[in-house]
Parts: sequence; structure tokens; C-alpha cells
Amino acid sequence: MKRYSKLARASILTLAIASVGSLAACGSDNGSSTSDNNSGSGDSKVTLRFFSNLPDRKSGQGLAEQTVIDNYVKANPNVKIDVETLAEEPFKNKLKAYMSSNEPLDITMVHGGAELNTLVQAGYVTELDPKQYEGEQYNFLPGVYKSFTFNDKLYGLPRNSDYEVIYYNKKLFADNGVKVPTTLGELLDAAKAFRDKGIAPMSINGKDLWSFGEMYQNLVLRYSGNQNLILDAIDKKTKFADDESFLKAAQFLGQVRDAKMFQDSFMTADYGASQNMFTQGKAAMWYMGSWEAGMATNEALPEEFRQNLGVVKFPVAEDGKGTLDDLLAWNGGGYAMVSSSKHPEEAKKFFDYLMSANQWAKTAWDTGAAVPAQKYDLTGSESEVQKTLTDILVNAASTSGASAIDYGTPKFKDDIQNALGKFFSSKQSPEDLLSALQTAVDNQ
Amino acid sequence: MHRVFRNKTAIFLFVAPGMLLFALTFLVPIIVSGYYSFTDTLAPGTKVTMVGFDNYTNLLFHDERFWLALRNALLLGIGFIVIQHPICIFFAILLDRLGGKAEKIFRTIFFIPCVISVVVISKMWLSLLDPTFGMLNKLLDLVGLDSLKHAWLGESSTALGSMLFILIWAGFGWGLLFYYAGVKGISEDLYEAAQLDGASGFRMHLKITVPLLKPVIAVQLTLAIITALKQMETVFLTTNGGPGDSTQFLAVYLYNKAFSASQYGYANAISVLFVIVCLLATYLSNRLTRNDATDF
Repeated sequence: MKRYSKLARASILTLAIASVGSLAACGSDNGSSTSDNNSGSGDSKVTLRFFSNLPDRKSGQGLAEQTVIDNYVKANPNVKIDVETLAEEPFKNKLKAYMSSNEPLDITMVHGGAELNTLVQAGYVTELDPKQYEGEQYNFLPGVYKSFTFNDKLYGLPRNSDYEVIYYNKKLFADNGVKVPTTLGELLDAAKAFRDKGIAPMSINGKDLWSFGEMYQNLVLRYSGNQNLILDAIDKKTKFADDESFLKAAQFLGQVRDAKMFQDSFMTADYGASQNMFTQGKAAMWYMGSWEAGMATNEALPEEFRQNLGVVKFPVAEDGKGTLDDLLAWNGGGYAMVSSSKHPEEAKKFFDYLMSANQWAKTAWDTGAAVPAQKYDLTGSESEVQKTLTDILVNAASTSGASAIDYGTPKFKDDIQNALGKFFSSKQSPEDLLSALQTAVDNQ
Repeated sequence: MHRVFRNKTAIFLFVAPGMLLFALTFLVPIIVSGYYSFTDTLAPGTKVTMVGFDNYTNLLFHDERFWLALRNALLLGIGFIVIQHPICIFFAILLDRLGGKAEKIFRTIFFIPCVISVVVISKMWLSLLDPTFGMLNKLLDLVGLDSLKHAWLGESSTALGSMLFILIWAGFGWGLLFYYAGVKGISEDLYEAAQLDGASGFRMHLKITVPLLKPVIAVQLTLAIITALKQMETVFLTTNGGPGDSTQFLAVYLYNKAFSASQYGYANAISVLFVIVCLLATYLSNRLTRNDATDF
């Protein structure tokens, strides 16, 4: 020690002070989190972290979600809820990043099926007791847990009944003398008619790719009339080459591509861009799900558009076995509790409140934001879009229960979406598409 | 002072914090990444099964998308070197010759793309190149060239070219800045002497400016290749690798495999190869440009 010069001693001292300082910083960090833990029972505030895929808090589902949160905070002044939101695709990616670092969120929005499966395998979401959610308080419709159940264990609750429809602009159809399509042939005719007038026939979020998957599943359903056919193919119980409905559906996608049914920029359009195209009256139709019911009451959209918004069922195939009432419906979006939560008890209280039939379900329906997965009462003041959507759901002869792209592994989802993206952006034949889909199934 | 630097303990103590930081933020992640690349795990925290070299054999021998992504990244690197950098050098010389107020103004203008956020650049080009509302197609319409109209970023045939154009445009300012600094460092006397000897214009710059810029060029070549390989944000925000993989780049592919397809182990194998490719490219570009600095 004697040999150390002043400089060396000074540096050692500095290091020592720095390390003590950083240790102290860690210590105070721990201290604050312990006091947070205790605060649940006391008067001091508890802050819950809520992660959602609804960045627009002023209209539609985002408004409904925020309303429930505000209700809860009002009734429980000791609770503060920190809401973090991101748009759909960034949301999915950030949730995986949160999962990787075991971020202590309390409640998060989840996508049932493949996405949730990964969270379950990482132990990031808490198991729920389905018995607790039976009965009047929650009023869930039968069979809605399917995409949230893994190995017979429930990990989340659905927030909506999701089903694919075609939103259309009544004025554009009337002004151009185009018939609202009820068959696939008429859909192509409409596409051609609008193209001739220089109007984009149908808007779709091609950059996100998943709408292609829903459309393909819808077409297979229309040709085969069998809800389980495509799910069986993914389960490897049948092959894409074995049933000609698969080929017919792929051939129709080819016709869609050749007729340029989608907007010119469809491969670079994300969700928002495809929606804007439609809400600004630049596209005659939008292929999307029932969760967009809120467009009819969203005051941020032009009045003229809202009055001309209509909804139709996906058209039937002239030579197909499926009917208009076979509905591609599932429960995709929902909520789950995060296992690394710092306030599990407070989080559970809020979660149960959120999922009560008189909270999310009622708010979402009353504000016209979405069609809930729980029983709801008609109030009589529904928008026409809501009424039509209710009719479509109530009159459905069959429902699929799962979205095909989410039915397999995340890898399968990625592969099948890319296969469809490739098909739409090249001159690939329907047969090649089928073999690409089969490869995606085989490699999952 | 001398005694301190002869003392091994002191040296160790000085170097230790830096080394520790380097190890924790650089070496450890690479090692962990290497470990995960031999597994088929879906994400950190999920079940880990060792699969040996499966990920690597799949990647190298059965994954066309990986090779496509690598090819595109290298194409971008070549685009930087062959298109962007000559233009940068040309403009650096022009700027230098301009002098006065105009030099300052243009210097600022050329650097603007570099201070704009990548998100803004991406969204801006998406709108400019939009097939229906975009300015480019409207311009083509205006001059009667509507046969040349395209969904620039949305068609497989034009997407990669458009993407390269955007990236070359966006990185132009940085390249210019480096070359401009290099040009400014060249003594005016040399040009005067050359002019006395009867050299002028293009020939003078080819024989004097470019050779004297060699050290800058050497650094820039390496940086260009690494930038190309690491390209991620603009692609992710505009096409996300589409349409149909036509603008797939290595970093975007890696990201999507890890976070969209939940193939975390596989993505880590890509990242290990990624590191190797980057090192290799750096080594090669260093080798190619390792001439002794020209001195006058």
C-alpha cells in the first residue's frame, strides 16, 4: 500500500465512493418499491400499469377503455392507473420485449391464440379461474374462452366478439350505380366498376398482412361451408391439396389480385392508412372486423362518411357450399393479468371490475365501440351499423371460434402471412400458394 | 506520475471500469446470444431445448429469406459506395469551390435530412411515393409520363430500388460532411501549383483531391458497409420487408423472427451470423483500402 502514489489513492477513493453511491441508489430503489407494496392496504396511492393497443383515447374502443379506467379511479381514489398505449403492430412487439425483461406491468391487452401462447409459455400472464367468471356479474357468451385457454387453463378474458365483415360507403355505391355485392362474382364486378371510375374498390392493411389470412379463411369457408376445414388443415388432419375448396379460395384470391380490387398502395398500408383511405371516401369498401363498429359514432370522422357507412356480410361463392350466415367469428382481443405485477391484489380487483358486464361490455356497446363477448342489452339508441352487426352475429348459423392464422404457432402465423404477402405482390399461381401454405403447416 | 503507470494494480484499476462496461454491454450479450442460438426457445423465460447446430444448418442451407436479406443489405452497401459516395465527394468539392455565404447555406441544406427523425423521413417518403396521392406520381401525370407511374414501395419490381434511393438520400448529408471536412483539409497551395502546371477542372480533382481524401474514403467505405448491414428503421417503418420479401434486410428479418415469429433461438443464430458478416465486411474493406496514406 505504501507504494501507491497520490493519484492511485485518489482513484481508488473515487471508485469506492462511486460504488457506494451506486449501491445506495439501488438501496433507495428497493426502498421505494417496498413502500409501494405496503401502500395497497393503506391510504397512500397504488399505481397500476396498464398496457393497451388502443392509442386513440377519444373515440371508439380506446374511449370505452379509458371510461372504465376513469370510473374505477373515481370509485377507488387510492388507485392511480398508468396507461401506456401503442398501435397494433408496435404493441405486439413491445409486449414481447416486456415479456423478455419480465417488466412488472399489472394488466395488459393480449391477442388470443398464438400471441398469448408465447406469453403463457414464458409464464408472463397469470392463470385465471373460469368458475369465478360464471354468472350474472360477467355474463360471458358460451365458448368465448377458446383462444385464451391453453392446456385447459384460462389465461385471459376476451373483450369482444370479433368477426369479419365488409364496411362499405353507401354513397360511393349509389353514385356509381354499383350493386352492393352478395356473391363473390358481384364482388369482382364491383371491383371492376370502381376501378373503371378511378376509385379504389376495397381498402386493406396489406403491410400488416393478417387481413389476407382472414380473407383466405373466409373464402375457404364460403367454398366448403365447413368452419373446421382450414383448422383441420393446420392441425394436420387434412392437407391443402386434399380439398378443392382450398384451391378455389386461392384462385379467387388470384382473381382479386388481377382485378386490382385493393387500393394501389395496399402493400405499404398499415391499419391506420387503410382505414383513412376508407373513412376519407377514397375507397368504396374496407375489409375489417366488427371491432370497428365505433366508426359510425366517431365524431372525428366526417359527418357525411358516418351517415353513409354500411356493413355487409362477406359474399357467398356461387358454386360454394357456405352460406351468408356462416360467420368467420372468434374472440381475438382480450385482457390478461401479468404475473410479475407488483400489486397483484389491487390489479385483480381492477381486472374483475374491467371485465364486469356492466363495465367494459356495457360501455363498449353503449358508446358503439365494439360488439362485446358478453351479453348486452339493446338500448334502442344504437347506430344502424351496430344493429346490422348485432343481426349478423345473432343470425349466424355457424361460427369458427378461431382465426386460422392464430391457430398454430407464432412461426406458422409469420410464415402463412408472408406466403400470402408474397402471393399478392407477385404473379405466383394459386397452386404455388397452396404448397407454400402446406409448407407453413408442415414446418410449424 | 510515471510510477503510477508502471504500477500494474493501478493500471488494472484504471482499466477495470471500462473493461467491465465493455464486457457487460458487449461481450456478455454476444455470448448469451451465442448460447440461445443453439436452442429453439420462443423467447427469454420460456422453455429452453438445446438443438445443436440445427438453427445454423437451417439458416445456411434452407432459408432463402435469409440469403435474400443478406443480398439486399450488400446491394445497399454497394449502392452506398458506387452511387452515394461519388456524389458526396462531388458535392463536397463543389461546396468547397463555392465559398462565401452560399457555401454555408448549401452546407446546411444538404445536412437537413440527417437531422430529421427517421420516422418523419419514412412517413414523408411513404407519402411522396404513394401511388394515388403521392407527389412523384402526380408529377409524372403532369408531364404526361403516366405510363411510368408505379406503386413505388408497394410493387416488388420497384420497391427495392425505391428503398435504396430513400436510404442513399437520407445518408447523403453524413457522407458529405466527412468528405467536406476532408476537402477543407487540403492545402490551397496544391491546387495553385497544379494550375501553374496547367491542370484544371475534373482532372485536377481526380489527381489531387481524390487521392488526398483516401483516408476519409477508407473510413467511409467501412462505415457504409456496416450501415448497410445494420439498416433497420426506415425499412421497418415503410415496407417492413415487403412486399413479398422484396425489401427484406438482415436486421429487419432478425427482428421479425425474434418478436413476430417468436423464433428467438433462430433469431439469435441470425444475429451471430450477422456479427460474423459485419466483422468480415469490416476486415475486407480495411484490407482493400489499407494503402499508406498519400503524402505530398
